[in-house]
Amino acid sequence: MASIATYAPGSDQLLMGNEAIARGALEAGVGFASAYPGTPSSEIIGSLAEAAKEAGIYAEWSVNEKVALEAAAAASFAGVRAIVAMKQNGINVASDFLMTLNLTGTNAGLVVVASDDPSAHSSTNEQDSRPIAKWADLPLLEPATFQEAKDMTRWAFEVSEELKTVCLVRGVTRVSHARGDVRLGEPMPPGQAGRFAPTSPIQFASLPAPLKHNLMHQKLAKAKELFESSRFNWYTGPEKPDLLVVTSGSGWFYSLEAVKALGREDSVGILKVGTTWPLPEKLVLGRLAQTEKVLVVEEVDAFLENNLKELVGGNLSSVGPLTFYGKGSEHLPAYGELNPDLVVQALASVLGIEKPARPSEYVEKAQALTGLVTHARVVGFCAGCPHRATFWSVKNALKLDGRGGFVTGDIGCYTMALGPAGYFQLKTVQAMGSGTGLASGFGKLGAMGFKQPVVAVCGDSTFFHAAIPALINGVYNRSNFTMLILDNSATAMTGFQPHPGTGTNAMGEPTAAVDIEALCRALGVRVEVTDPFDLKGTTEKLLGLMADEGGVRVLISRRKCALVRARQEKAAYRMRVDSERCLGESCGCNRLCTRVFQCPGLAWDSASGAARIDEVVCSGCGVCADICPASAIIREVA
Amino acid sequence: MSPGIEIKGSQALQDEVRARRLCTLCGACSGMCPYHVPYQGRMVTLDDCNLAQGRCYAFCPRTPVDLNLLSQTVFGTPYPASELGTAKEVLMARAAADALRSRAQYGGTVSALVAFALRTGLIDTAVLTTSDEGALPTGRAVRDEAGVLACAGSNFVASPTLETFNREAAGDAQRIGVVATPCQTLALAKMRASPLENRNNIDKLKLVVGLFCTWALKYRDFADFLGERVPLDQIVKVDIPPPPANVFEVYTDSTPVTIPLDQVRAFIRPTCNACIDMTAEFADVSVGAAEGVAGWNTLIVRSEAGAKLVEAARAGGALEVEPLPDANLAHLKEAALLKKKRGLSNIVEASGSKDDLLYLEASREALRALLSGV
Repeated sequence: MASIATYAPGSDQLLMGNEAIARGALEAGVGFASAYPGTPSSEIIGSLAEAAKEAGIYAEWSVNEKVALEAAAAASFAGVRAIVAMKQNGINVASDFLMTLNLTGTNAGLVVVASDDPSAHSSTNEQDSRPIAKWADLPLLEPATFQEAKDMTRWAFEVSEELKTVCLVRGVTRVSHARGDVRLGEPMPPGQAGRFAPTSPIQFASLPAPLKHNLMHQKLAKAKELFESSRFNWYTGPEKPDLLVVTSGSGWFYSLEAVKALGREDSVGILKVGTTWPLPEKLVLGRLAQTEKVLVVEEVDAFLENNLKELVGGNLSSVGPLTFYGKGSEHLPAYGELNPDLVVQALASVLGIEKPARPSEYVEKAQALTGLVTHARVVGFCAGCPHRATFWSVKNALKLDGRGGFVTGDIGCYTMALGPAGYFQLKTVQAMGSGTGLASGFGKLGAMGFKQPVVAVCGDSTFFHAAIPALINGVYNRSNFTMLILDNSATAMTGFQPHPGTGTNAMGEPTAAVDIEALCRALGVRVEVTDPFDLKGTTEKLLGLMADEGGVRVLISRRKCALVRARQEKAAYRMRVDSERCLGESCGCNRLCTRVFQCPGLAWDSASGAARIDEVVCSGCGVCADICPASAIIREVA
Repeated sequence: MSPGIEIKGSQALQDEVRARRLCTLCGACSGMCPYHVPYQGRMVTLDDCNLAQGRCYAFCPRTPVDLNLLSQTVFGTPYPASELGTAKEVLMARAAADALRSRAQYGGTVSALVAFALRTGLIDTAVLTTSDEGALPTGRAVRDEAGVLACAGSNFVASPTLETFNREAAGDAQRIGVVATPCQTLALAKMRASPLENRNNIDKLKLVVGLFCTWALKYRDFADFLGERVPLDQIVKVDIPPPPANVFEVYTDSTPVTIPLDQVRAFIRPTCNACIDMTAEFADVSVGAAEGVAGWNTLIVRSEAGAKLVEAARAGGALEVEPLPDANLAHLKEAALLKKKRGLSNIVEASGSKDDLLYLEASREALRALLSGV
């Protein structure tokens, strides 16, 4: 696949929204790109890193979103255009710096892309990033199409440089991760870094805050003027519509489809807002004055909706009577992802039309058909995943220990251990590093009668991102818990990106690998290392560490991610089941491997009443041979 | 089993026995599958098994039991209305060899009989119980006299020894002897009477030597308690001398430590309160102390196989046998009856009704004579 730098200007390409954003940055002459991987934003810096050499730019995976933003801000201060990308949670991590950078101001264009995950398909929260624009007094753009993803990103650099502040761009899964045709423009080579020479003592400081705050408001007022004439806001429909749909981002496609599906192009108008904050007030008020009913269609929170209501509240005399429909009126849900059906239903309801978006006979037919070719599946670990083996040992160790010990969870593939994939071992999940932070707190409750052992799990990338301060907190404050670091040599869940422990950077160059074990030892705590595929050894080490209640203990469970390994070497073993020895459903086994262990490489053959290996899925890790009570799973060196 | 008894599975075992603190840690439910694992004095269930019927439930001495059926299976006769269970004779006995007596708790009778059975090929494997340092007892399979000697001695802490039996039965051993506490002899009898298709190779069981038992202790808490008074790895032997001493003696290489027995009682497994068997009624022979006769055991001979073994051991010069003094016999019967009555009374208190004898409900007929006093 060609890198985004290769495609010829003027050509039409099928691009993922994230690729379009990256291309837009290249066309704006971006020189510096930084990010922490996070679904659905990862491909933005991912594709810039892939194209970095060709385009002559710099791209890095930073340890977390705050550092990513700080590093990019440096580039901007030095006159190099910079882009930072993150998911909604990354905005939270970056917010401390963002809430001082907004006061500080920028030099060369600095664009921050927040890609939200409505319905949290791959997140630990559902959060609308847009309110930070209002909170931080920063301009915010929302692309609605793949073309806009590119064009608005390019424009965002101009906005940022004109205002000398960060320009935010907000996407969602259905823009970032879907694909569509994009007409490409001309990439611009990045400029050279200039000299860092502040023109005043406070040019690159956020202080004095009240003065800078006032200046920030003036920038926002300027943005408002700019946005009044933006080509990314437009209206389609009759001059005086019965109903005005106001929408932004992915809501625009759904609104178009809904109006068309109900055949109301002549009476329903759609105002697409691309510059979501600050609102282009004159434009918006002008449209609101032409109608008495407004339906607002947007992803996650009623941000646009409430801002419109606020605007109307301050301009009652100029808009006339208005009724708002949307999340506030519960015509659209205030949680979960939008889809065309929901918008059709909302529109039909507001217009008083009886039209189900999806007829019930269709639903029944579809379910019956799909049931024939697909199975209900739960999220699970890959065949050969070291996490499956680790959590098998954790489950057993906690049961054997018998004191009601539990696991505080964190973010990564291992988050799936909240469910059956990891035997329901995770009992808490919040933000990056939170598992260790919680454990640090639980570990101080012993003097108040708390007796349960606590195990905080944390991935290798998560460790670098956020868990180190929590670990140090536990050591410094003499907390009592075991930190279980799952080191699989990858930021796996988001697409196997490298991190400080893997020895390679975003652009594929070798670099010093930070040694997690040495780092932990430097804190003066007991550190043990285990191979998760050694089930017995890992269980024993865990039991020993849980029994040792001398402060913080660390167990590093180290083995490469199965998919990363598969790209580098062939399978270690060839597996098969001796169906004569297999006890199957009988007392003595009752399908331990397929019913409890549940590696997808193992299948239950009800015809023969025995387990068998699914050769397509099995990765040849060999672990199942060690759990079979009948020694019926045979492991041969491949 | 009798028609009234339903064999259920692992989940029911959890609900009916473990959740009600009736588990005796005999080990009968373990060593057969990956799910039940004894660990540091507890029976742990690692995963749920959803089979409707399982050996774990069938063999457990605290799931419903019909004592009449077991008695017919083991002895060919109904469950007797007597204090000591089925008995051909009650004797006094001791090991003939000094080497065995010197290692013994009392008379070394158990060691002598087991060593003799191994030597003469009656059994090829003996499943015994040992104490590792730290007072955690485990089952151990031995195949010679040295192994028997290494396991000599009592420790009063429950041991999941039948896990070892189950493993040996599934392995290469062909003729197995087990030294078992009363609850363990009950479990072994349930194995013999089990209607399940999977017979657990129970026909390999050739000899059961029962041990008298009043109660057993919970390992973890008791080990902490004991460890505060004596370094656990220095313990050579423990003993509870007969009344009126009322103490728990701990012997080390230096001075013995004496602990008031009432303090030790705090660690009795709750399930022992629901037990009615002091003399291991379903064994081939049962052995305990002989009160007031240092260096001798009380020996109850119950089955044909037991009688044959005792006679062969005596004739072979491995065992010395004497009549048991009448006073001893009377005291023994009194103590055994007291445990039965207390056990039944505790069961009725736990169930809340005289019409619910918990796991003994199916033995109501067999226990009729005892129930009048309850």
